Amino acid sequence: MWQLGPRDEDALAAAWRAATPFPYVVLDDVVPTGDLMEVLDDEGVARYEAELFVFEASPPNGLAELRARFAEQLAPLLSRVTGRQVTRADMRAFAYRPGHYLLPHTDHQDGLERLLAYAYYLPSPEAPLGGELELYRCELENGEVVATEPATRIEPRPWRLVVFDVSAVSLHQVREVLGGLRISLAGWFYA
Amino acid sequence: MNLEELLATRSALIVPSGITARFAGFTRYALVDRGSYEWVDVPVDPRIGELVATHTGMRRQCIASRVIRLVPGDFILARHDTSPTGLEVVIDISPAPCAAEVHYRQHGQVFFRVPCEPGTAALVPRYPSVTSNHTYLSKLATVEVVRWVCLFA
Repeated sequence: MWQLGPRDEDALAAAWRAATPFPYVVLDDVVPTGDLMEVLDDEGVARYEAELFVFEASPPNGLAELRARFAEQLAPLLSRVTGRQVTRADMRAFAYRPGHYLLPHTDHQDGLERLLAYAYYLPSPEAPLGGELELYRCELENGEVVATEPATRIEPRPWRLVVFDVSAVSLHQVREVLGGLRISLAGWFYA
Repeated sequence: MNLEELLATRSALIVPSGITARFAGFTRYALVDRGSYEWVDVPVDPRIGELVATHTGMRRQCIASRVIRLVPGDFILARHDTSPTGLEVVIDISPAPCAAEVHYRQHGQVFFRVPCEPGTAALVPRYPSVTSNHTYLSKLATVEVVRWVCLFA
């Protein structure tokens, strides 16, 4: 489904290590070879609303074949670039419409063993206004967050893959979508 | 949680307050893993004590009085809540109604929602098993939300 083509892995690894406020890397033009959108058309989405978010998404355990192929083709490269030895991934499809958001959180939970988080942005019939991935710089004292500051915004461009480290300081949010439609696949990579 | 707590929390109610007020001197809170809002501590107001006495049949002592203001993009998460014990009174003094709520939860389940309706007050029994969060105020909104939150012993 994805043929990544030649990439300068040393440059990607250097970008990962140098990234602030925590390690992340952006890969543009991760274009599928098959008709990904056709696969996703068969997957229903429902509205999810909780304290941290409002969005539409596919069921948590759906897209089994697609996520297996995604992990098979991306995990080796990401393991080399990030130094995190990952083999499998989960995946959900997300649709953010105007007023949808995901408030700041870290993705880190003891016992879940999430090593890398990813968001893979897809073409939209109406490009989103807002919906950027925003990364925060956190200051810790005795394990407690004592200061937070927005540090980086990453636009949701079609065929862009963003991968970032999961840790106690990987604070991030999806800024509210103010117009258009933001479509993505997202989830985590595991060992 | 015991049966007394369960029943008490289910007695939460919303009543007309007729209280309006304006405040200044807000401080912004911005540890965004917990919340994003403005606050100011203000003197206890006897009108709120009267409101509590009218609806509970008891005179209680106010032990905390804070005004919270949310502008578009703001929110307060449950992890920022201190889970106090007492009777919490939320007076809505917003300039206009809007799509924003306070949610009260017990063991993760929302049991009471307080809409943004100026001129109303919510009376909610608080126990350590109860947390609250102020829902995200959309940037598409054109108003601010102002809540006067008091705790009575």
